[in-house]
Amino acid sequence: MRTRSLIVPIVLISLAVPLSAQLSRAALVRQSDIIFAGTVTRAGVVRVDQVFEKPSAVSLMKGDSVTVLPARAGSPGSPPLNPGMQATFYTTGWIYGRWITVREVGHEAIGPQLATVAGTGTAQQDLVAKARQQVNDADLKARIQAAAMVVVGRVEQLRPMEYGPRPTGAPARPRRFTEPNWQEAIIHVDEGLKGATAGERVVVRFPGSRDVAFVGTPRFAAGQEGTFLLQKDTATGSPLALMAGQPVQAYTALHRLDVLSKQDAQHVRTLMRGP
Amino acid sequence: MRATTLLAAVIFVIAACRRPQDQPDGAPSPPPPPPPGVRVVDMIPASLSGETWQDAEPFLTTFASNPNILAASAFTPNPGGPASTTAPIYVSDDSGNTWSLRNTLPSNVQTADITHAGGESPALYATILSTPSIALKDLETNDVLSATAMTQDATRPNVDQPFVRASRAASTDRLYVGINDFAAPNGRTATVDVSLNGGATFTSRRIESRNTLGQNGPSIRPAVAQNNMVYVAYFGWRSNAGDTITTDIVVARDDNGATGTTPFRDLRDPSDNQPGRLVATGRTIVFSNAPTLGQERIGSTLSLAVDAARSDTVYIAWADRVGSGDIQTVHVRRSLDRGATWSNDLRMLPNTTNPSLAVADDGTVGLLYQQLTGTGSASRWVNRFEQSRDGFATHQDLVLATVPASTPALQFLPYLGDYDMLLTRGTEFLGIFSAANTPDPANFPSGVLFQRRVNQATHQLLDGSGSPVAVSIDPFFFSVPVMP
Repeated sequence: MRTRSLIVPIVLISLAVPLSAQLSRAALVRQSDIIFAGTVTRAGVVRVDQVFEKPSAVSLMKGDSVTVLPARAGSPGSPPLNPGMQATFYTTGWIYGRWITVREVGHEAIGPQLATVAGTGTAQQDLVAKARQQVNDADLKARIQAAAMVVVGRVEQLRPMEYGPRPTGAPARPRRFTEPNWQEAIIHVDEGLKGATAGERVVVRFPGSRDVAFVGTPRFAAGQEGTFLLQKDTATGSPLALMAGQPVQAYTALHRLDVLSKQDAQHVRTLMRGP
Repeated sequence: MRATTLLAAVIFVIAACRRPQDQPDGAPSPPPPPPPGVRVVDMIPASLSGETWQDAEPFLTTFASNPNILAASAFTPNPGGPASTTAPIYVSDDSGNTWSLRNTLPSNVQTADITHAGGESPALYATILSTPSIALKDLETNDVLSATAMTQDATRPNVDQPFVRASRAASTDRLYVGINDFAAPNGRTATVDVSLNGGATFTSRRIESRNTLGQNGPSIRPAVAQNNMVYVAYFGWRSNAGDTITTDIVVARDDNGATGTTPFRDLRDPSDNQPGRLVATGRTIVFSNAPTLGQERIGSTLSLAVDAARSDTVYIAWADRVGSGDIQTVHVRRSLDRGATWSNDLRMLPNTTNPSLAVADDGTVGLLYQQLTGTGSASRWVNRFEQSRDGFATHQDLVLATVPASTPALQFLPYLGDYDMLLTRGTEFLGIFSAANTPDPANFPSGVLFQRRVNQATHQLLDGSGSPVAVSIDPFFFSVPVMP
């Protein structure tokens, strides 16, 4: 039974939320991948009034019914889901079949403030978006703080990683599809934001394999410009690389947040200046 | 109150899984049903109609305790995105007509390899290479329909391509996990991790008895008969020139479920009296982790099936290069004397990958494979299923899908998978393959049912709102009656 609500577009007018509540909202957003406003129609079932966030693959729209496994009793911000209740639901996808079943992370009741207006954006949507931005910034800031080096630069050259001579008796590198096939990107530093100065050249290693095991790992291309968050290489087992015949520290950028656009440099600077 | 709410939600979930499939409101009517007895089902559920991932390397499990329940997997990511700490598995409780995804595998977003096998209750045993570490994890759940995370029985690094089979003996599930274990001594990496207690403990059994070039090939394939005779097929990699490997194709056997202290030594080759019968020697394999056969990589294609009720009969299929102009050719052979002697090639299939063999209760052998035909933009992946009762002197042939090979472009390797899966149950063959999902009836001559939203008249995939969705690789479940 796929229901389609006949309710006209609505705005979910939020309550005046104190800072502590905003932090709580960010915590809810951090754990959620499907966030929507909805009305409890019966025990465990919520009719979607507005979708705030969902993965692109997921089919979910206004009027759909979603089965919600309630958060555990006693979870903060999770009073019982009673029929008629209107709330913003912070959830994670649990079972994807003909319908979606989600696990509730938490919810914010919005009660009588529900109003009918035209337009696509809503105050509640903005609050969720701001909380998501807060979470994303916190994640990026953590990556920046953990990075040994943050640079704005350009990939000058790509080359296979030099492993050096194999010690006598040491086993050969295995042939397996999940072997990373490490490559090296030589990055010219245009601006050093952390741990580097302009004009330096840095060796950054990345898996050249197109195996599924590395599908989310950043890869580099010659000429690529960007803002790079670099870690000292602890992945390849050989932390030093050769640059102009000299051994130098090698770096990696293996997390999806480690390779940003050149335009993201300003945002990175802002986060680095912040508290 | 809380318990009532939870119970209602669970009941709703179960009911939802069991409802018959139909099209979302406003979508075109479904196409005519497939020919009687043959089912081909695109497994992507309606709630993921917007997905465009490369759902390659599919695998399938049945459960003796409940024929309606099936489990399956592919390189399908957790729809929740890159921050997810679990990966999904597909389940069906209506014998494969409809499927749903449950995020129960402890691996970030998706797995890097996964196979599984069914036990009692219905328990599911899964072996995965988890991401991001690529470590082996042996997993289990007592109830495959449960949406709670599978528990980890064991884990270790530095192995490749786990492939698990299960059997039941003395009220206990036995597990046989073929793995390429790079921690094995002397470069004899072909290994079977054996658990005789339902995954509580595992013992690594080395099955290569000869020298190698430093390792065996990735594929180690166990097969278990009802009398607990266990066969294992593997590639004995002997030498190489770069990525061109010279290999033997070897079958080892244990007649007592690998319960002894020196298992897998019951089948020896007359040439050197070593354990492991040499089915073929000096074969050439190109190990290419790049698009080589169409957009697919090649390098380790192997399948083994035993007639479960008559363990003397065992079939093997592998791929190697035949002549300098060949990319790879699949060979199928049979032994009728417990692996002591082998036939010549019963089937030779050029430009083919992912053969999967199974033997039905009445001895009929089934063969699933994916063959590249044509060239360039006209090339197609033809997914075929053959069955034979006379060692392929004659066989019944069925095209399950014939789809363009150049569309969609690959997102990663493998494009379709390093394996697929064929099983038997009663009077049916059940299988799974990955293929491009353009909803064009001409691509599916045996018929097809889509769970995800499609318009077969316009050959378009649609998302939940009716907007077009790009073509991608989907897993397809199929069932075919054993030929009369």
